[in-house]
Amino acid sequence: MACDRVRPLLPLLADGELSLTRRWMVSRHLARCPDCAAQLEDLQTMRTAMRTNLPFHQAPPDLAARIGNVLPREMPPVPIGRGSRLTLAGRTFAFAGSTFAGALAGVALTFLVMNGRADDAMTQAVLNSHVRSMMADHLTDVLTEDRHTVKPWLSARLDVSPPVPDLAPEGFPLVGGRLDYIDGHRAAAVVYRRDKHVINLFAWAAPNTADAGFRQEARQGFNLMTWRHDGVAYCAISDLEADQLQTFSRLVAGD
Amino acid sequence: MAPDDRKRRFELLALPHLDAAYNLARWLAGNGADAEDVVQDAYLRAFRYFDAWQGGNFRVWLLTIVRNSFMTWAKENRTPRMVFRSESPADDGGEIADIVWGHQPRDPESLLLESIDSQTLTRLMERLPAEYREVLLLREVEDLSYKEIATVVSVPIGTVMSRLARARLALRRLWLSNESREAAHGV
Ligand SMILES: [Zn+2]
Repeated sequence: MACDRVRPLLPLLADGELSLTRRWMVSRHLARCPDCAAQLEDLQTMRTAMRTNLPFHQAPPDLAARIGNVLPREMPPVPIGRGSRLTLAGRTFAFAGSTFAGALAGVALTFLVMNGRADDAMTQAVLNSHVRSMMADHLTDVLTEDRHTVKPWLSARLDVSPPVPDLAPEGFPLVGGRLDYIDGHRAAAVVYRRDKHVINLFAWAAPNTADAGFRQEARQGFNLMTWRHDGVAYCAISDLEADQLQTFSRLVAGD
Repeated sequence: MAPDDRKRRFELLALPHLDAAYNLARWLAGNGADAEDVVQDAYLRAFRYFDAWQGGNFRVWLLTIVRNSFMTWAKENRTPRMVFRSESPADDGGEIADIVWGHQPRDPESLLLESIDSQTLTRLMERLPAEYREVLLLREVEDLSYKEIATVVSVPIGTVMSRLARARLALRRLWLSNESREAAHGV
Protein backbone atom coordinates (compact mmCIF):
# COMPACT_ATOMS: atom_id res chain seq x y z
CA MET A 1 0.00 0.00 0.00
CA ALA A 2 1.18 3.49 -0.85
CA CYS A 3 1.40 6.34 1.64
CA ASP A 4 -1.37 8.34 0.03
CA ARG A 5 -3.72 5.42 0.41
CA VAL A 6 -2.68 4.78 3.99
CA ARG A 7 -3.03 8.33 5.29
CA PRO A 8 -6.84 8.60 5.03
CA LEU A 9 -7.11 5.31 6.89
CA LEU A 10 -5.08 6.43 9.90
CA PRO A 11 -8.01 8.04 11.75
CA LEU A 12 -10.12 4.96 11.08
CA LEU A 13 -7.36 2.79 12.46
CA ALA A 14 -7.03 4.97 15.55
CA ASP A 15 -10.80 4.93 16.04
CA GLY A 16 -11.02 1.15 15.69
CA GLU A 17 -13.18 1.43 12.58
CA LEU A 18 -11.04 -0.57 10.14
CA SER A 19 -11.83 -4.10 9.07
CA LEU A 20 -9.37 -6.79 10.07
CA THR A 21 -7.98 -7.11 6.56
CA ARG A 22 -7.39 -3.43 6.09
CA ARG A 23 -5.96 -3.14 9.57
CA TRP A 24 -3.45 -5.77 8.69
CA MET A 25 -2.55 -4.07 5.41
CA VAL A 26 -2.08 -0.73 7.13
CA SER A 27 0.05 -2.16 9.93
CA ARG A 28 2.31 -3.81 7.39
CA HIS A 29 2.84 -0.43 5.77
CA LEU A 30 3.40 1.29 9.10
CA ALA A 31 6.07 -1.20 10.07
CA ARG A 32 8.31 0.01 7.26
CA CYS A 33 7.19 3.64 6.81
CA PRO A 34 8.39 5.93 9.64
CA ASP A 35 6.52 8.91 8.14
CA CYS A 36 3.09 7.34 8.32
CA ALA A 37 3.90 5.78 11.67
CA ALA A 38 4.82 9.23 13.02
CA GLN A 39 1.55 10.68 11.75
CA LEU A 40 -0.40 7.96 13.47
CA GLU A 41 1.52 8.59 16.66
CA ASP A 42 0.72 12.28 16.38
CA LEU A 43 -2.96 11.53 16.06
CA GLN A 44 -2.90 9.09 18.92
CA THR A 45 -1.13 11.59 21.14
CA MET A 46 -3.83 14.09 20.44
CA ARG A 47 -6.60 11.56 21.04
CA THR A 48 -5.08 10.47 24.32
CA ALA A 49 -4.77 14.06 25.45
CA MET A 50 -8.42 14.66 24.60
CA ARG A 51 -9.67 11.53 26.25
CA THR A 52 -7.68 12.28 29.37
CA ASN A 53 -8.27 15.99 29.64
CA LEU A 54 -11.68 16.76 28.22
CA PRO A 55 -14.00 17.08 31.20
CA PHE A 56 -16.78 14.55 31.59
CA HIS A 57 -19.56 16.37 33.38
CA GLN A 58 -21.32 14.18 35.89
CA ALA A 59 -24.95 14.79 36.62
CA PRO A 60 -25.68 16.63 39.88
CA PRO A 61 -26.45 14.07 42.61
CA ASP A 62 -30.09 15.04 42.99
CA LEU A 63 -30.96 15.09 39.29
CA ALA A 64 -32.00 11.43 39.15
CA ALA A 65 -34.42 11.91 42.02
CA ARG A 66 -35.85 15.05 40.48
CA ILE A 67 -36.42 13.28 37.18
CA GLY A 68 -38.05 10.37 38.99
CA ASN A 69 -40.43 12.82 40.60
CA VAL A 70 -41.52 14.49 37.41
CA LEU A 71 -42.04 11.29 35.45
CA PRO A 72 -45.78 10.83 35.53
CA ARG A 73 -47.01 7.55 36.96
CA GLU A 74 -49.40 7.15 34.12
CA MET A 75 -48.87 8.37 30.66
CA PRO A 76 -50.60 7.05 27.62
CA PRO A 77 -48.07 5.82 25.10
CA VAL A 78 -48.07 7.97 21.99
CA PRO A 79 -48.57 6.35 18.60
CA ILE A 80 -45.50 7.01 16.54
CA GLY A 81 -45.71 8.80 13.24
CA ARG A 82 -48.79 10.79 14.16
CA GLY A 83 -49.08 14.26 15.59
CA SER A 84 -46.24 15.51 13.49
CA ARG A 85 -48.47 17.75 11.49
CA LEU A 86 -46.68 20.78 10.23
CA THR A 87 -48.40 24.11 10.49
CA LEU A 88 -47.81 26.19 7.43
CA ALA A 89 -48.73 29.80 7.93
CA GLY A 90 -47.90 31.47 4.68
CA ARG A 91 -44.21 30.90 4.41
CA THR A 92 -43.56 30.61 8.09
CA PHE A 93 -43.31 27.13 9.45
CA ALA A 94 -44.71 27.17 12.93
CA PHE A 95 -43.91 24.13 14.97
CA ALA A 96 -46.55 23.10 17.45
CA GLY A 97 -45.50 21.48 20.67
CA SER A 98 -46.59 18.15 19.33
CA THR A 99 -43.94 18.17 16.63
CA PHE A 100 -41.72 16.30 18.94
CA ALA A 101 -43.71 13.25 17.98
CA GLY A 102 -42.12 13.79 14.61
CA ALA A 103 -38.69 14.11 16.14
CA LEU A 104 -39.18 10.92 18.04
CA ALA A 105 -40.57 9.19 15.00
CA GLY A 106 -37.26 10.01 13.34
CA VAL A 107 -35.42 8.39 16.17
CA ALA A 108 -37.67 5.38 16.19
CA LEU A 109 -37.38 4.95 12.46
CA THR A 110 -33.64 5.20 12.55
CA PHE A 111 -33.64 2.34 14.94
CA LEU A 112 -35.98 0.35 12.80
CA VAL A 113 -33.37 0.54 10.10
CA MET A 114 -30.48 -0.18 12.40
CA ASN A 115 -32.20 -3.22 13.77
CA GLY A 116 -32.83 -4.54 10.32
CA ARG A 117 -36.48 -4.92 11.17
CA ALA A 118 -37.52 -2.86 8.22
CA ASP A 119 -38.04 -4.98 5.16
CA ASP A 120 -37.28 -2.05 2.95
CA ALA A 121 -34.39 0.10 4.10
CA MET A 122 -34.88 2.53 1.25
CA THR A 123 -38.47 3.27 2.23
CA GLN A 124 -37.43 3.77 5.80
CA ALA A 125 -34.65 6.08 4.69
CA VAL A 126 -37.16 8.18 2.80
CA LEU A 127 -39.41 8.27 5.84
CA ASN A 128 -36.48 9.27 8.01
CA SER A 129 -35.56 12.10 5.71
CA HIS A 130 -39.13 13.31 5.49
CA VAL A 131 -39.57 13.40 9.25
CA ARG A 132 -36.12 14.85 9.80
CA SER A 133 -36.70 17.60 7.27
CA MET A 134 -39.67 18.78 9.27
CA MET A 135 -38.20 18.41 12.72
CA ALA A 136 -34.80 19.91 12.08
CA ASP A 137 -36.19 23.06 10.53
CA HIS A 138 -34.42 22.04 7.39
CA LEU A 139 -37.24 21.81 4.93
CA THR A 140 -35.43 23.71 2.22
CA ASP A 141 -32.02 24.98 1.20
CA VAL A 142 -33.63 27.22 -1.39
CA LEU A 143 -36.94 28.67 -0.33
CA THR A 144 -38.75 29.91 -3.39
CA GLU A 145 -41.91 29.35 -5.34
CA ASP A 146 -39.96 29.88 -8.53
CA ARG A 147 -39.21 26.55 -10.16
CA HIS A 148 -36.70 28.24 -12.47
CA THR A 149 -34.57 28.82 -9.38
CA VAL A 150 -35.03 25.45 -7.74
CA LYS A 151 -34.28 23.25 -10.73
CA PRO A 152 -30.89 24.71 -11.70
CA TRP A 153 -29.89 24.91 -8.05
CA LEU A 154 -30.47 21.19 -7.61
CA SER A 155 -29.11 20.20 -11.02
CA ALA A 156 -25.86 21.98 -10.28
CA ARG A 157 -25.34 19.90 -7.16
CA LEU A 158 -26.56 16.50 -8.23
CA ASP A 159 -26.14 13.86 -10.88
CA VAL A 160 -29.85 13.98 -11.56
CA SER A 161 -31.95 16.82 -12.80
CA PRO A 162 -35.24 16.40 -10.98
CA PRO A 163 -38.51 17.50 -12.52
CA VAL A 164 -39.78 20.65 -10.86
CA PRO A 165 -43.14 21.22 -12.53
CA ASP A 166 -45.38 24.15 -11.70
CA LEU A 167 -48.30 22.51 -9.95
CA ALA A 168 -49.72 25.56 -8.22
CA PRO A 169 -52.72 25.64 -10.55
CA GLU A 170 -53.48 22.08 -9.46
CA GLY A 171 -53.28 23.10 -5.82
CA PHE A 172 -49.72 21.97 -5.07
CA PRO A 173 -47.61 25.13 -4.70
CA LEU A 174 -43.84 24.77 -4.65
CA VAL A 175 -42.09 25.51 -1.35
CA GLY A 176 -38.47 24.99 -2.35
CA GLY A 177 -35.75 22.41 -2.66
CA ARG A 178 -32.87 20.97 -0.73
CA LEU A 179 -30.10 18.40 -0.89
CA ASP A 180 -30.72 15.25 1.04
CA TYR A 181 -29.44 11.75 1.51
CA ILE A 182 -31.37 8.59 0.90
CA ASP A 183 -29.62 5.51 2.11
CA GLY A 184 -26.22 7.01 1.43
CA HIS A 185 -27.14 8.44 -1.97
CA ARG A 186 -27.28 12.10 -2.69
CA ALA A 187 -30.85 12.98 -3.52
CA ALA A 188 -32.88 15.97 -4.58
CA ALA A 189 -35.76 16.84 -2.33
CA VAL A 190 -38.31 19.10 -3.96
CA VAL A 191 -40.82 20.36 -1.45
CA TYR A 192 -44.44 21.04 -2.34
CA ARG A 193 -47.43 21.53 -0.16
CA ARG A 194 -51.14 20.95 -0.27
CA ASP A 195 -52.93 23.16 2.20
CA LYS A 196 -51.09 22.44 5.42
CA HIS A 197 -49.51 19.18 4.32
CA VAL A 198 -45.90 19.06 3.26
CA ILE A 199 -44.90 16.80 0.38
CA ASN A 200 -41.29 15.81 -0.03
CA LEU A 201 -40.53 14.62 -3.55
CA PHE A 202 -37.24 12.75 -3.54
CA ALA A 203 -35.31 11.96 -6.71
CA TRP A 204 -31.99 10.18 -6.96
CA ALA A 205 -29.94 8.51 -9.67
CA ALA A 206 -30.65 4.83 -10.13
CA PRO A 207 -28.62 3.99 -13.20
CA ASN A 208 -29.09 0.69 -14.98
CA THR A 209 -32.48 0.01 -13.48
CA ALA A 210 -35.64 -0.68 -15.39
CA ASP A 211 -38.56 1.72 -15.31
CA ALA A 212 -41.16 0.85 -12.70
CA GLY A 213 -44.75 2.01 -12.35
CA PHE A 214 -46.33 3.62 -9.31
CA ARG A 215 -46.17 1.68 -6.09
CA GLN A 216 -48.19 2.93 -3.20
CA GLU A 217 -47.43 2.27 0.42
CA ALA A 218 -48.55 3.48 3.82
CA ARG A 219 -46.12 3.45 6.69
CA GLN A 220 -45.96 5.02 10.14
CA GLY A 221 -48.85 7.32 9.34
CA PHE A 222 -47.39 8.56 6.07
CA ASN A 223 -48.24 7.74 2.49
CA LEU A 224 -45.55 7.04 -0.07
CA MET A 225 -45.56 6.73 -3.84
CA THR A 226 -42.50 5.35 -5.57
CA TRP A 227 -41.66 4.95 -9.22
CA ARG A 228 -38.66 4.81 -11.53
CA HIS A 229 -38.16 6.43 -14.88
CA ASP A 230 -35.13 6.86 -17.12
CA GLY A 231 -32.60 5.82 -14.49
CA VAL A 232 -34.04 8.08 -11.81
CA ALA A 233 -35.87 6.80 -8.75
CA TYR A 234 -38.68 8.91 -7.32
CA CYS A 235 -40.48 8.84 -4.04
CA ALA A 236 -43.19 11.22 -2.93
CA ILE A 237 -44.05 11.17 0.74
CA SER A 238 -46.57 13.07 2.82
CA ASP A 239 -49.26 12.74 5.41
CA LEU A 240 -51.70 13.62 2.63
CA GLU A 241 -54.50 11.22 1.81
CA ALA A 242 -53.31 8.46 -0.51
CA ASP A 243 -55.48 9.48 -3.47
CA GLN A 244 -54.24 13.06 -3.32
CA LEU A 245 -50.64 11.91 -3.19
CA GLN A 246 -51.38 9.72 -6.18
CA THR A 247 -52.77 12.70 -8.08
CA PHE A 248 -49.64 14.63 -7.18
CA SER A 249 -47.32 11.83 -8.31
CA ARG A 250 -49.11 11.43 -11.64
CA LEU A 251 -48.78 15.15 -12.26
CA VAL A 252 -45.05 15.01 -11.52
CA ALA A 253 -44.52 12.00 -13.74
CA GLY A 254 -46.54 13.70 -16.46
CA ASP A 255 -48.72 10.64 -16.54
CA MET B 1 -48.03 -3.39 31.22
CA ALA B 2 -49.12 -1.68 34.42
CA PRO B 3 -48.10 2.01 34.59
CA ASP B 4 -45.86 1.35 37.57
CA ASP B 5 -44.06 -1.43 35.74
CA ARG B 6 -43.57 0.77 32.75
CA LYS B 7 -42.08 3.50 34.87
CA ARG B 8 -39.82 1.11 36.74
CA ARG B 9 -38.61 -0.51 33.53
CA PHE B 10 -37.87 2.90 32.05
CA GLU B 11 -35.95 4.06 35.09
CA LEU B 12 -33.96 0.85 35.15
CA LEU B 13 -32.90 1.41 31.55
CA ALA B 14 -32.57 5.17 31.48
CA LEU B 15 -31.11 6.25 34.80
CA PRO B 16 -27.77 4.45 34.37
CA HIS B 17 -27.19 6.75 31.37
CA LEU B 18 -27.93 9.93 33.25
CA ASP B 19 -24.29 10.98 33.42
CA ALA B 20 -23.82 10.43 29.70
CA ALA B 21 -27.00 12.39 28.97
CA TYR B 22 -26.05 15.21 31.30
CA ASN B 23 -22.51 15.37 29.95
CA LEU B 24 -23.76 15.77 26.38
CA ALA B 25 -26.34 18.37 27.40
CA ARG B 26 -23.74 20.24 29.46
CA TRP B 27 -21.38 20.43 26.50
CA LEU B 28 -24.11 21.46 24.09
CA ALA B 29 -25.78 24.02 26.34
CA GLY B 30 -22.57 25.38 27.82
CA ASN B 31 -23.76 25.60 31.42
CA GLY B 32 -25.17 23.40 34.16
CA ALA B 33 -28.57 24.98 34.73
CA ASP B 34 -29.63 24.81 31.10
CA ALA B 35 -28.18 21.32 30.81
CA GLU B 36 -30.43 20.15 33.66
CA ASP B 37 -33.49 21.58 31.90
CA VAL B 38 -32.53 19.88 28.65
CA VAL B 39 -31.91 16.53 30.35
CA GLN B 40 -35.13 16.65 32.31
CA ASP B 41 -37.05 17.46 29.17
CA ALA B 42 -35.29 14.67 27.30
CA TYR B 43 -36.14 12.10 29.97
CA LEU B 44 -39.79 13.12 29.95
CA ARG B 45 -39.90 12.75 26.20
CA ALA B 46 -38.02 9.48 26.26
CA PHE B 47 -40.49 8.15 28.81
CA ARG B 48 -43.41 9.33 26.77
CA TYR B 49 -42.13 7.67 23.63
CA PHE B 50 -40.56 4.73 25.38
CA ASP B 51 -42.69 2.36 23.32
CA ALA B 52 -40.99 3.61 20.19
CA TRP B 53 -37.65 2.29 21.35
CA GLN B 54 -37.04 -0.80 19.28
CA GLY B 55 -34.55 -2.52 21.52
CA GLY B 56 -31.35 -1.11 20.01
CA ASN B 57 -28.64 0.61 21.99
CA PHE B 58 -30.58 2.51 24.63
CA ARG B 59 -27.79 4.98 25.36
CA VAL B 60 -27.59 5.99 21.70
CA TRP B 61 -31.38 6.33 21.55
CA LEU B 62 -31.35 8.50 24.66
CA LEU B 63 -28.47 10.68 23.46
CA THR B 64 -30.32 11.24 20.19
CA ILE B 65 -33.28 12.50 22.18
CA VAL B 66 -31.05 14.67 24.37
CA ARG B 67 -29.63 16.28 21.26
CA ASN B 68 -33.09 16.83 19.81
CA SER B 69 -34.24 18.29 23.11
CA PHE B 70 -31.30 20.65 23.05
CA MET B 71 -32.13 21.75 19.50
CA THR B 72 -35.73 22.45 20.48
CA TRP B 73 -34.63 24.24 23.62
CA ALA B 74 -32.08 26.31 21.73
CA LYS B 75 -34.65 27.30 19.16
CA GLU B 76 -37.21 28.28 21.77
CA ASN B 77 -34.68 30.28 23.75
CA ARG B 78 -32.98 31.76 20.70
CA THR B 79 -29.66 31.06 22.27
CA PRO B 80 -26.51 32.03 20.42
CA ARG B 81 -25.38 28.47 21.01
CA MET B 82 -27.84 27.40 18.36
CA VAL B 83 -25.00 27.55 15.99
CA PHE B 84 -25.34 24.35 14.03
CA ARG B 85 -24.95 25.56 10.50
CA SER B 86 -27.03 23.91 7.86
CA GLU B 87 -24.98 21.20 6.26
CA SER B 88 -22.76 22.67 3.64
CA PRO B 89 -22.06 20.60 0.54
CA ALA B 90 -18.35 20.89 1.27
CA ASP B 91 -18.79 19.29 4.65
CA ASP B 92 -21.08 16.63 3.30
CA GLY B 93 -18.93 15.46 0.46
CA GLY B 94 -18.40 12.24 2.29
CA GLU B 95 -14.87 12.06 0.86
CA ILE B 96 -12.11 12.10 3.37
CA ALA B 97 -9.31 11.90 0.87
CA ASP B 98 -9.05 15.68 0.70
CA ILE B 99 -8.87 16.19 4.43
CA VAL B 100 -6.18 13.77 5.32
CA TRP B 101 -4.69 13.72 8.74
CA GLY B 102 -0.94 13.87 8.52
CA HIS B 103 -0.15 16.09 5.57
CA GLN B 104 1.18 18.63 7.98
CA PRO B 105 4.92 18.59 8.61
CA ARG B 106 5.90 16.95 11.81
CA ASP B 107 7.53 19.65 13.83
CA PRO B 108 8.94 19.80 17.34
CA GLU B 109 5.84 21.73 18.38
CA SER B 110 3.64 18.73 17.94
CA LEU B 111 5.36 17.18 20.90
CA LEU B 112 3.75 19.84 23.03
CA LEU B 113 0.42 18.26 22.23
CA GLU B 114 0.96 16.04 25.19
CA SER B 115 1.23 18.87 27.64
CA ILE B 116 -2.21 20.41 27.57
CA ASP B 117 -4.39 20.96 30.57
CA SER B 118 -8.09 20.44 30.86
CA GLN B 119 -8.95 24.13 31.05
CA THR B 120 -6.99 25.11 27.97
CA LEU B 121 -8.43 22.21 26.03
CA THR B 122 -11.99 23.13 26.98
CA ARG B 123 -11.35 26.72 25.95
CA LEU B 124 -10.07 25.58 22.55
CA MET B 125 -13.08 23.29 22.12
CA GLU B 126 -15.39 26.23 22.77
CA ARG B 127 -13.78 28.07 19.88
CA LEU B 128 -14.63 25.32 17.40
CA PRO B 129 -17.82 25.41 15.32
CA ALA B 130 -20.61 23.60 17.16
CA GLU B 131 -20.82 20.72 14.72
CA TYR B 132 -17.08 20.06 15.09
CA ARG B 133 -17.22 20.23 18.88
CA GLU B 134 -20.14 17.87 18.87
CA VAL B 135 -18.52 15.04 16.90
CA LEU B 136 -15.29 15.30 18.89
CA LEU B 137 -17.27 15.11 22.09
CA LEU B 138 -19.35 12.14 20.97
CA ARG B 139 -16.22 10.32 19.82
CA GLU B 140 -13.71 11.08 22.55
CA VAL B 141 -15.83 11.67 25.62
CA GLU B 142 -19.01 9.68 25.01
CA ASP B 143 -16.94 7.07 23.17
CA LEU B 144 -19.44 6.40 20.38
CA SER B 145 -18.62 4.58 17.15
CA TYR B 146 -18.96 6.30 13.76
CA LYS B 147 -22.27 4.57 13.20
CA GLU B 148 -23.60 5.63 16.58
CA ILE B 149 -22.50 9.22 16.02
CA ALA B 150 -24.26 9.14 12.65
CA THR B 151 -27.46 8.13 14.44
CA VAL B 152 -27.23 10.77 17.14
CA VAL B 153 -26.37 13.59 14.75
CA SER B 154 -28.66 12.34 11.94
CA VAL B 155 -26.09 12.48 9.16
CA PRO B 156 -24.61 9.81 6.87
CA ILE B 157 -21.61 7.94 8.22
CA GLY B 158 -19.38 9.49 5.53
CA THR B 159 -20.23 12.89 6.92
CA VAL B 160 -19.21 11.74 10.39
CA MET B 161 -15.81 10.68 9.05
CA SER B 162 -15.15 13.87 7.14
CA ARG B 163 -16.49 16.10 9.90
CA LEU B 164 -14.40 14.32 12.50
CA ALA B 165 -11.32 14.65 10.33
CA ARG B 166 -11.94 18.38 9.84
CA ALA B 167 -12.68 18.83 13.53
CA ARG B 168 -9.41 17.21 14.56
CA LEU B 169 -7.39 19.27 12.14
CA ALA B 170 -9.12 22.44 13.30
CA LEU B 171 -8.49 21.64 16.94
CA ARG B 172 -4.90 20.75 16.21
CA ARG B 173 -4.39 24.12 14.52
CA LEU B 174 -5.88 25.99 17.47
CA TRP B 175 -3.82 23.89 19.81
CA LEU B 176 -0.51 24.57 18.07
CA SER B 177 -1.14 28.30 17.63
CA ASN B 178 -2.06 28.44 21.30
CA GLU B 179 1.18 26.73 22.25
CA SER B 180 3.32 29.02 20.14
CA ARG B 181 1.55 32.10 21.51
CA GLU B 182 2.11 30.99 25.06
CA ALA B 183 5.72 30.19 24.28
CA ALA B 184 6.17 33.66 22.78
CA HIS B 185 4.77 35.27 25.88
CA GLY B 186 6.91 33.14 28.08
CA VAL B 187 3.95 31.63 29.92
ZN1 LIG C 1 3.72 5.73 4.43
